[in-house]
Amino acid sequence: MCLSGPPPIAAFVEKHCLDCHDADTAKGGLDLTALPLEPKVFDTWAKVHDRVRDGEMPPAKRSRPPRKQATAFLAAVAEPLAAADRARDAAAGRTTSRRLNRFEYENSLRDLFGAPWLQIKEMLPEDGEAFRFNKVGEALDISHVQMAQYLAAAEYAIGEVLASQTVRPEPKTVRYYTREMGSFARKMKFTEFNRSPERATFPVLGFAGQADVRAYKTPLTGGPTDREEGGMAVVAGAYEPLEPKFDEFVARQAGRYKIRLNAHSIWVGPGKAPSWWRPDLDTVSRGRRSEPITLYTEKPPHQLRRIGAFDAAPTPTIGEFEVYLLKGETIRPDPARLFRSRPPNWHNPLATEEGQPGVNYRWLEVEGPLVDEWPPAGRRLLFGESTDPKQLMENFLRRAYRRPVAQAEIDSFVGLVKKALDRGVSFPAAMRTGYAAVLCSPGFIFLEEKAGPLDDFALASRLSYFLWNSSPDETLRSLARQGLLTRPAILRAQTQRMLDDPRSRRFVDLFLDYWLDLRRVNATSPDAGLYPDYYLDDLLVESAAEETQLFFAELVRKDLPARNVVSSNFLVINERLATHYGLRGVDGVNFRRVPLPAKSPRGGLMTQASVLKVTANGTTTSPVLRGVWVMERILGKPSPPPPPSVPAVEPDTRGATTIREQLDKHRSDKTCAACHARIDPAGFALESFDVLGGWRDQYRALGDGGPRPPGYGKNGQPFEFHLAQPVDPAGDLPGGGAFLDIVELKRLLLRDERQIARNLVRQLLVFGTGAPVRFGDRAQVEAILDGAGKHHGVRTLISQIVSSELFRSK
Amino acid sequence: MMNRRTLLRGAGVAMALPMLEAHAVKKGPPPRRILAICNNLGLLPEKFFPTTAGRDYTPSPYLELLAEHRSSLTVLGGVMHPDVDGGHPADNCFLTAAPHPSSGGFRNTISLDQFAAQQIGHLTRFPSLTLGVNASSQHSLSWTPGGVLIPCEEKPSALFRRLFLKGSGQEIADQIRRLELGRSVMDTVSDQARSLQVNLTGRDRERMDQYFTGVRDLEHRMEKSRQWEDIPKPTVKVKEPVDAKSASEYILKTRLMYDMARLAFETDSTRLVTLMLDSVSSPAIEIEGTEIKDGYHSLSHHGKSEVKLKQLEAIDREHMKLLAGLFRGLKDAKEEGGALFDRTMVLYGSNMGNANTHVTTNLPVLFAGGPFKHGQHLLFDRERNYPLPNLFVNMLQALGLEVDRFATSTGTMRGIDATV
Repeated sequence: MCLSGPPPIAAFVEKHCLDCHDADTAKGGLDLTALPLEPKVFDTWAKVHDRVRDGEMPPAKRSRPPRKQATAFLAAVAEPLAAADRARDAAAGRTTSRRLNRFEYENSLRDLFGAPWLQIKEMLPEDGEAFRFNKVGEALDISHVQMAQYLAAAEYAIGEVLASQTVRPEPKTVRYYTREMGSFARKMKFTEFNRSPERATFPVLGFAGQADVRAYKTPLTGGPTDREEGGMAVVAGAYEPLEPKFDEFVARQAGRYKIRLNAHSIWVGPGKAPSWWRPDLDTVSRGRRSEPITLYTEKPPHQLRRIGAFDAAPTPTIGEFEVYLLKGETIRPDPARLFRSRPPNWHNPLATEEGQPGVNYRWLEVEGPLVDEWPPAGRRLLFGESTDPKQLMENFLRRAYRRPVAQAEIDSFVGLVKKALDRGVSFPAAMRTGYAAVLCSPGFIFLEEKAGPLDDFALASRLSYFLWNSSPDETLRSLARQGLLTRPAILRAQTQRMLDDPRSRRFVDLFLDYWLDLRRVNATSPDAGLYPDYYLDDLLVESAAEETQLFFAELVRKDLPARNVVSSNFLVINERLATHYGLRGVDGVNFRRVPLPAKSPRGGLMTQASVLKVTANGTTTSPVLRGVWVMERILGKPSPPPPPSVPAVEPDTRGATTIREQLDKHRSDKTCAACHARIDPAGFALESFDVLGGWRDQYRALGDGGPRPPGYGKNGQPFEFHLAQPVDPAGDLPGGGAFLDIVELKRLLLRDERQIARNLVRQLLVFGTGAPVRFGDRAQVEAILDGAGKHHGVRTLISQIVSSELFRSK
Repeated sequence: MMNRRTLLRGAGVAMALPMLEAHAVKKGPPPRRILAICNNLGLLPEKFFPTTAGRDYTPSPYLELLAEHRSSLTVLGGVMHPDVDGGHPADNCFLTAAPHPSSGGFRNTISLDQFAAQQIGHLTRFPSLTLGVNASSQHSLSWTPGGVLIPCEEKPSALFRRLFLKGSGQEIADQIRRLELGRSVMDTVSDQARSLQVNLTGRDRERMDQYFTGVRDLEHRMEKSRQWEDIPKPTVKVKEPVDAKSASEYILKTRLMYDMARLAFETDSTRLVTLMLDSVSSPAIEIEGTEIKDGYHSLSHHGKSEVKLKQLEAIDREHMKLLAGLFRGLKDAKEEGGALFDRTMVLYGSNMGNANTHVTTNLPVLFAGGPFKHGQHLLFDRERNYPLPNLFVNMLQALGLEVDRFATSTGTMRGIDATV
């Protein structure tokens, strides 16, 4: 036996560990007699350290080591581990130098050229991730494909920026009347492709139907009030094959536009008995409630981009939006609450014997492109006043690079331009080649950091890629040039300024995209058979993602305590989510902060629809997967990966057994039980929520086994599921007490607010610095927590992180 | 080289070899190719799918028309692109498998051919060809990494000229200049990488090394593309095809495109071809022996009308005969002593499982040729469909790419085995 290390370690191990962890027993695969205190097994020692620190080892049934001995042991183990990390920091820094990820590349180009409409990130390959984030050097690879796409993206961006007109466009406002749009008018006619009223558009004048127009006895256009008071209406959402759009408007150039859509809700009479659910398109009256309209841009074929939403009231309502449009895009409205007819024999779920809701569109007005400055910033940057390649290139490099530019670098890119000129390339084309080269050069795509404390420029970059996902603005650059940014007071002030800036939303969105997997919110869709009420409901999924973003932004803005991650006394929701959560009194598509009603199981992140969706697969939920997710993302206590030989537990959609019963069988195996006792509890509590976060007391199942509830899905198909086994959301937190449901679980978790804050800090540190928190960094994490007061306000935590040595060093 | 030339002549294929085939056919692994075809109205499922599965399946009425190729093709049953729903627009996703093409915020992703072209495109004069029949300029199967549509070539004559006739001096000069500028760009940035490398150590240096390698690889590929401009285009003995005059000559147009795809492969002008058969946009089409009274799309909404079904079946049968001809042509064409077909994977299918009801599940798919053991009806669960993108992974691997996933794939396709 060879116990190494300083005396406190050997003595402690001998006395408290070796009964189980010697060469003979090696319980859990751990033989401490063969574990020298050497760097290559420091990770294992870190685990030993943590189990002893948390009182998990020695196990409860053994005698407790005296506190003093344990403390001495922990200190003796910690010292060499921390020292190793310190040595590594001194030599190479915590982080590995990295390139920009595709979000950062896109934002950097947008900000450089003053062209917020540029769409670049989809042109670049998906970024690798490590420690859950796309910000870690080791995972951000570069291949020839990546290089080719950088070049293509750079050339594309420059081309788009210069494509805006050479003459200042006259501000122009054009109104497009629905009845004059072929896309709306054509769908009025019944043909062999459509004989269904639900899939047709129909004319409305004032608030009444027009049977004579629909019968083609009176023309659709030309009447004295047709333009201003007429419109075309629908009773179904925009979905194949009913997708009317204002296609006589096509954005001639990329830029900022103001668009106004005039629409109002209507009520359409029932069809002749017995088919009351078919709409009678000639019997139209004022709407009985407002209808949400989502606006998308559309570029053929079928490329859609969401640009906003508003509520069309029963009286004509103008939804006004200032948006960025790309060249070739048109506008397509979607009355998002209405059903989407899918074959065969659909039945509108919103239809009653009195009729059904619909939306009438009157006109769309487009103003733009709106020009703020002339010539535009991008054009000025690329071909300002000078015609001297050297001067242009020097100016461009100073703006593109985030640090001082060396003369040799300027010469090199000017050399490239000259080479191109020598080959007979025109001056503008030669310059563009040079600029494209700059945008694929290491100086642009790499974040350059040197071991030790970051200099002012590197700090400016780290800060701006943390809070804006983009390059530093002129204020930061100027402070860096003066050597002021490294001053603590100035750094703090800048952090506040950046968080107050709307660009901080980029931080919120990207951080959540990776921390909570929000980017996967559309990765799976609700099963059409089990969840026909969610299937095809774009408004629900769009709202779910936005809720989480606005909620976290609220925590940052108001410096709310980190514990809100687990439980909050408010929600940020709109009507669609309020309905989903079973709450009343929230109308319309706009989000607002509302107090959490007493007894509601909501509040915090875990019970938001987005999170419950990304942790399910659209068909079933698994307490194991959700449990692992909560432990890792919310509580910061990751579980070891499952053993490769054990098959996953497959939920049974026939409803015969519950997932709980299957898991109980699995957990009766002792080797499985150890981990599952830690993983599953949070997942059990979340079983009260279905694949999209709707509350449930019973599971749904397909096949025989019970009566099907009456009703029709968003796709117009009758429900084919039935209610099956009841949900059992109770569980036992190891060492934390028993709970009956999610409400009680949250209460138990709130007992350790510091751990919730600690996990948030760790996640933010990976995102903000590009490296995980290692053993040697832990003391600094505790210092960050100590510095953030009793409640660990999220904004304060961010500020403390930026001020920490971890953030200010490579 | 002479052998191959002789063989080709001997096989009666009306073409001469490109003068510089030494450049085209390299040593190393044999060239592999993909031809992917989507008929966006699909086929009548009850006539297409065999009722029995496995190697000794009983051929369906349609598959009887492909009997001569039975051992070189696999019929897939019970497959779909996961979450690709929403009716007709699903054809945009036939080679991308991007989910929910009709829903809000939809943006397409890279298609199979373009993904492969990133890796092997530089090996041939044309990295890939995107073709269409009756497809508007805003329709095709090929999509860039950024989800931008690559417009298709509709005219066989124009395609022929691109493949085999010399471009104008200006065109060539422009292309050469573009590639040379690209190489100069790579030179410049690698110079900078080299100077930055000096001060780096350890992991940071590895990162910069990787950048450096990426740049060098790209430069190498640009150099290869550049070389093509100095190499004369291959010459073929067949004449420039005469384009069909009207969209109703759908069958003729399809046959011409099949011929052009084969010619492009025979001359190793490209290894990746996609072909969108835009049946949805096709009028009443001409079929020998049957009078087609309604537009193709209208027929597909047959509502079980006997009259319509009969016409639709006549069109479908013509599709099968065209395929039989395509396969025959690829078998007759030889390369390095073997049939071109053995190196050419043909994917024929549709985004529609049943155009009458607009379902996008249970897609009709034929997979033929290439280095695979065929001759079976590979039937998966018709209730819970198997992901078709898994087959794309097999196809990419057969091209020699180190890939283990594509779009929503969950692995390679169970039951598809390579011959070697």
